[in-house]
Amino acid sequence: MKNSILAVIAAGLAAFIPLAVPAHAVVAPTDAAAAAAGPATDALESPASAPTADAAAAETTSAYTPMKPTAGKGMPTSYEDDPMKSLTFQDQYSDNGEYALWMHDIILMPVITAISLLVLGLLLYVVFRFNRRANPVASKTTHNTMIEVVWTILPVIILVIIAVPSITLLARQYETPPANAVTIKATGYQWYWGYTYPDHGEIEVISNMLDEAAAAKSGEPHQLAVDNRMVVPAGVPLRIQTTASDVIHAFAVPSLWFKMDAVPGRLNEKLLTIKEPGVYYGQCSELCGARHGYMPIVVEALPPAEFAAWVKAQGGTMPGEEAAPAAAAAEPAAANTAG
Amino acid sequence: MAGKANHDYHILEPDIWPLIGSIAALTFTSGMVLSFHPDLFGQSGKIVAGLGLAGLIATFFMWFKNIVVEAQRGDHTPVVQLHLRYGMILFIASEVMFFVGWFWSFFDFALFPTALEYDHATGATTSLFGTEGAVAAFIPEGMEVLDPFALPLLNTLILLCSGTTVTWAHHALIHGDREGLKQGLWATVALGVLFSAIQAYEYSAAPFGFGGNTYSSAFYMATGFHGFHVLIGTIFLAVCLYRTYLGHFTPRQHFGFEAAAWYWHFVDVVWLFLFVAIYVWGGWGAEYH
Amino acid sequence: MATTAEGFDIHDHGHDTHDHADHKPGFFARWFMSTNHKDIGTMYLIFAIIAGIVGGAISGIMRVELQEPGIQYLQWWAQFMGGGNDLNTALHMWNVFITAHGLIMVFFMVMPAMIGGFGNWFVPLMIGAPDMAFPRMNNVSFWLTVAGFVSLLFSLFVPGGTGPGAGTGWTVYAPLSTTGSVGPAVDFAIFSLHLAGAGSILGATNFITTIFNMRAPGMTLHKMPLFVWSVLVTAFLLLLALPVLAAAITMLLTDRNFGTTFFNPAGGGDPVLYQHLFWFFGHPEVYIMILPGFGMISQIIATFSKKPVFGYLGMAYAMVAIGVVGFIVWAHHMYTVGLDVNTKMYFTAATMVIAVPTGVKIFSWIATMWGGSLSFKSPMVWSMGFIFLFTVGGVTGVVLANGGIDDNLHDTYYVVAHFHYVLSMGAVFSMFAGFYYWFPKMSGRMHSELLSHIHFWTFFVGVNVIFFPQHFLGMQGMPRRYPDYAEAYHFWHQISSYGYYIMAGSMLFFFVNILYALLAGKKAEANPWGEGATTLEWTLPSPPPYHQFETLPVITDANDYHDHRPLTA
Ligand code: HEA
Ligand code: HEA
Ligand code: CUA
Ligand SMILES: [Cu+2]
Repeated sequence: MKNSILAVIAAGLAAFIPLAVPAHAVVAPTDAAAAAAGPATDALESPASAPTADAAAAETTSAYTPMKPTAGKGMPTSYEDDPMKSLTFQDQYSDNGEYALWMHDIILMPVITAISLLVLGLLLYVVFRFNRRANPVASKTTHNTMIEVVWTILPVIILVIIAVPSITLLARQYETPPANAVTIKATGYQWYWGYTYPDHGEIEVISNMLDEAAAAKSGEPHQLAVDNRMVVPAGVPLRIQTTASDVIHAFAVPSLWFKMDAVPGRLNEKLLTIKEPGVYYGQCSELCGARHGYMPIVVEALPPAEFAAWVKAQGGTMPGEEAAPAAAAAEPAAANTAG
Repeated sequence: MAGKANHDYHILEPDIWPLIGSIAALTFTSGMVLSFHPDLFGQSGKIVAGLGLAGLIATFFMWFKNIVVEAQRGDHTPVVQLHLRYGMILFIASEVMFFVGWFWSFFDFALFPTALEYDHATGATTSLFGTEGAVAAFIPEGMEVLDPFALPLLNTLILLCSGTTVTWAHHALIHGDREGLKQGLWATVALGVLFSAIQAYEYSAAPFGFGGNTYSSAFYMATGFHGFHVLIGTIFLAVCLYRTYLGHFTPRQHFGFEAAAWYWHFVDVVWLFLFVAIYVWGGWGAEYH
Repeated sequence: MATTAEGFDIHDHGHDTHDHADHKPGFFARWFMSTNHKDIGTMYLIFAIIAGIVGGAISGIMRVELQEPGIQYLQWWAQFMGGGNDLNTALHMWNVFITAHGLIMVFFMVMPAMIGGFGNWFVPLMIGAPDMAFPRMNNVSFWLTVAGFVSLLFSLFVPGGTGPGAGTGWTVYAPLSTTGSVGPAVDFAIFSLHLAGAGSILGATNFITTIFNMRAPGMTLHKMPLFVWSVLVTAFLLLLALPVLAAAITMLLTDRNFGTTFFNPAGGGDPVLYQHLFWFFGHPEVYIMILPGFGMISQIIATFSKKPVFGYLGMAYAMVAIGVVGFIVWAHHMYTVGLDVNTKMYFTAATMVIAVPTGVKIFSWIATMWGGSLSFKSPMVWSMGFIFLFTVGGVTGVVLANGGIDDNLHDTYYVVAHFHYVLSMGAVFSMFAGFYYWFPKMSGRMHSELLSHIHFWTFFVGVNVIFFPQHFLGMQGMPRRYPDYAEAYHFWHQISSYGYYIMAGSMLFFFVNILYALLAGKKAEANPWGEGATTLEWTLPSPPPYHQFETLPVITDANDYHDHRPLTA
């Protein structure tokens, strides 16, 4: 909870910083992105061909700056930072994630621990009780119908107890997204991700991994940081779609309990609601060739208003709005810098 | 060997052909790989694969020749014949599962089709995935398929007929009618060859090429593997025919013949499934060539 | 009858002192033209040990690389293997290593050892048969396995994408394995599976026929030792699962080389279809790798408890149930491909069902020991290690079985941990148990109990240190098939790699033990394990004569199902 409040404050603060800074310097963690950010900046500086309302919106455009991640949130925790946290799942930031985590921690984990310890205990018991010295003469028992029935029925009961929340979880994960859900389509390429926003004027974001130096510069975990993030609104149902253009990839974010393969020739779709703003790291999770380990995923969830501002900054439109002429001319915010 | 064995099992002499056969198989598959990549390996692949194939054929020839010799020598006691029966049934069971794989993909494509566009002139297929309003269809719009009730139906009748002729041969054999056996087998082999010839003609005249889209892929691979099995079955029967002339087989012991007949029935049944599923049902509603 | 250490050690084949009835062919004929189930079994075991060393060495390369974040040694390997010096080639080498490791361990280590090795040696001995039903086919099964291995080795030296070798993972998923891997390497790897698969199918027909037709007079199916039962069920799984794999990988080949579009969306094909076909084989395959182990554990536990197996029929039919249900759970490997919700619910439920018959086995083993008079000889300690570690691996399987939970764990190190607990501990522990159990019978020499116990304890510690932390990594989100990772994963990866060194050191005791036994080991009696060892192989000298049971043993009703001592000769 404390973390989330901090995150909101941090996000809020972050939104103000850029006002004091030249736009292109903020938008651009890398040179490529800086170049690509050009059109948006142009739109801002172009004479008032856009209606004033839009101009005001464009003002906030410059308000987007990649959110600073919060340590331990939406990313793996190292043993050195927190030994206990490094042993288990990442904290969850979606409803289904919390339910799944609950199911794992409260049902599965105790059950499997108990079963393993039971078997270990029984083994140790027979070692001490029935070793050759303790029990020189072996019995000849080979049957006991009662016990056999018990150890068949008992596991069945345990499994049923597991199955109930398991099926519930599945049902929840597969709820149909509401009509007003925000659609984002993630496309896997060898070896980067492309995110398109069909509801927002087909914005396209191309997302490449940052190299070690760049990641260090932006204060993000190496191997997980990207140049352009998948920005989404927090607290709003998202319709995540995945597909791929060459081989199978998988869109996965552990702290959102979300993983869906991106299969060429298929469009997979699933509902995701992120509970609070934050930066959530993930990685491609299907072997896709040499750089399979080098195409991470960063989801940045923003409060809806800031998301709208981001959309404007990318030259997109919010649903129901007219495209601003200048924005319509804008190129996708970032160029593909693959390779 | 094992001179004082008190049992009816067949203890074999050491034999070199398993080793040769495996080397030949490796040579063949490696040659195939080389031939897939002429840019890297030139024409060497064909030679290597050819050598491997020759080795494989030699192995099969010698292997089965040895079995026949052993059978004639009397090594195939009743229990050994039982082994052979089990072996053949299990082998056919594994073949069935092999065809399950091909039917699985066929039904996957047929039941969950995607939208495709077929260019009649070039025979090229393009995917309409992601195109607004594109309609999914197993057989791409504009592609013609073979009319099941023309040559394929004839082929069905031919195979059914061959099923009866092989049974005729079997009954003749059981009743000691050697002439009937020969006639039945001749007829079966002839029908098998006829089937293959018609199938070859169909392939050459088919309105669509190999590959390119899922229908043609599934069609050619499934019917092609069936055709290959017909070929094997025909050879198997021809060998039996040859052995008949050599005077092999008795009314009470003729498992070589029975194995060929089983195999032939298996090939026959696979065809019925192919005919019903791929030719008739799969092509339903599409334009016939 | 042979009473000396022949049969197994090659070094004394030159002696001309054989009894006439035990006449052996000359060296070449004996080992290259073999039609003798024991010799073929021996060759399978030697082959499996070699493959295990290769596969284990590759996993060492992997663990060394993963010990630190960043790319350490792959660049060097890329150049060593004749690839370029760029990063993509280095990263490709990673995929080649994991692919080779997975394929070698599965197809060329576990399967040849369990089925080809122990199955060949002991199925005929335990049912009182003189040999296998098809001795010549038995030999071609073996050589085809070797041919498959050689084809896999070929693949390492030819281009396969951004470097030499096939880097598709052992699952060979399309389209990475079709349009995604240019060059002959993947073709060689696919043919490797064809060859080994053909050998296994022939082997399966051989085992089934042998078990159905060659049991000694009086040995009904319900009197058959459980190891034989396990091989019977395994053979059926092989027979029915492998041909589907053969079809699937043939489709890969034609997609790659002849323009078919089975898995190519451009022509309407579906990459997910490949996964269905693969896992329809692949899931039964994992039981193929463990069922013979189950069988060996049953024999060993009974022997060293001096007690018949508890719940024999339940044990036998539990394996049948595992085999049958194993065919209808395959899509639990595909929870994230975009299955619909009902399908996921079905596969979740069906998968969990397998825990029930497996539980019956675990508890019956414990019940077998209950009330017994246990002696902790080397096979027994490995078996008890097996029971515990397999349970740990099994219960994490039940976690993964939940489709909604697997959404997070799929393709992470949690899965890697799961399957190494059931394989590198389950299957491998049962193999070592079986090896120490039957080594005296096969070689005629006793191994050192001390060395085997040291081997056990160090190995036990080593593999747990390797694989237990991988659960943590997986839950924290570490994806599998990654040569490089975020700093946060460093600590547990490092521990895991340290475990490898312990394990590797432990293997020295194994090899030293074999050498010691072969060179200086005490001669083994017909039955070195005492009254608990009641199956037929212990009635024969160690090693058994070249041709055993020339007069078939007779099993009478007076004998318990687990006591197959022949009454008449
Ligand atoms: C020997 C091999 C072996 C065995 C025996 C098993 C056994 C099981 N496996 Fe495993 N598995 C693999 C080898 C094996 N597996 C491999 C190689 C992979 C990865 C493949 C790849 O992707 O590369 C894999 C992956 C895998 C997945 C996919 C994970 C993913 O990729 O996301 C799943 C999911 O359901 C799964 C489940 C199970 C289950 C439920 C069992 C069950 O059979 C376990 C049953 C046993 C027990 C449960 C313990 C004993 C029982 C009791 C003591 C009774 C009481 C217990 C309860 C009531 C729970 N396995
Ligand atoms: C039986 C199967 C088996 C076995 C034994 C092992 C053993 C080991 N494996 Fe393996 N592993 C796989 C099957 C197996 N693995 C598979 C299928 C994959 C997935 C590949 C993929 O992603 O495609 C995998 C992947 C895999 C990874 C993940 C790679 C990645 O995703 O990037 C790692 C990483 O640590 C790893 C490590 C190890 C280690 C350290 C061992 C050590 O335990 C090795 C020690 C060696 C032995 C224990 C063998 C000793 C045995 C003998 C010498 C023979 C004895 C013979 C007789 C007694 C007759 N393995
Ligand atoms: Cu993209 Cu893995
Ligand atoms: Cu499975």
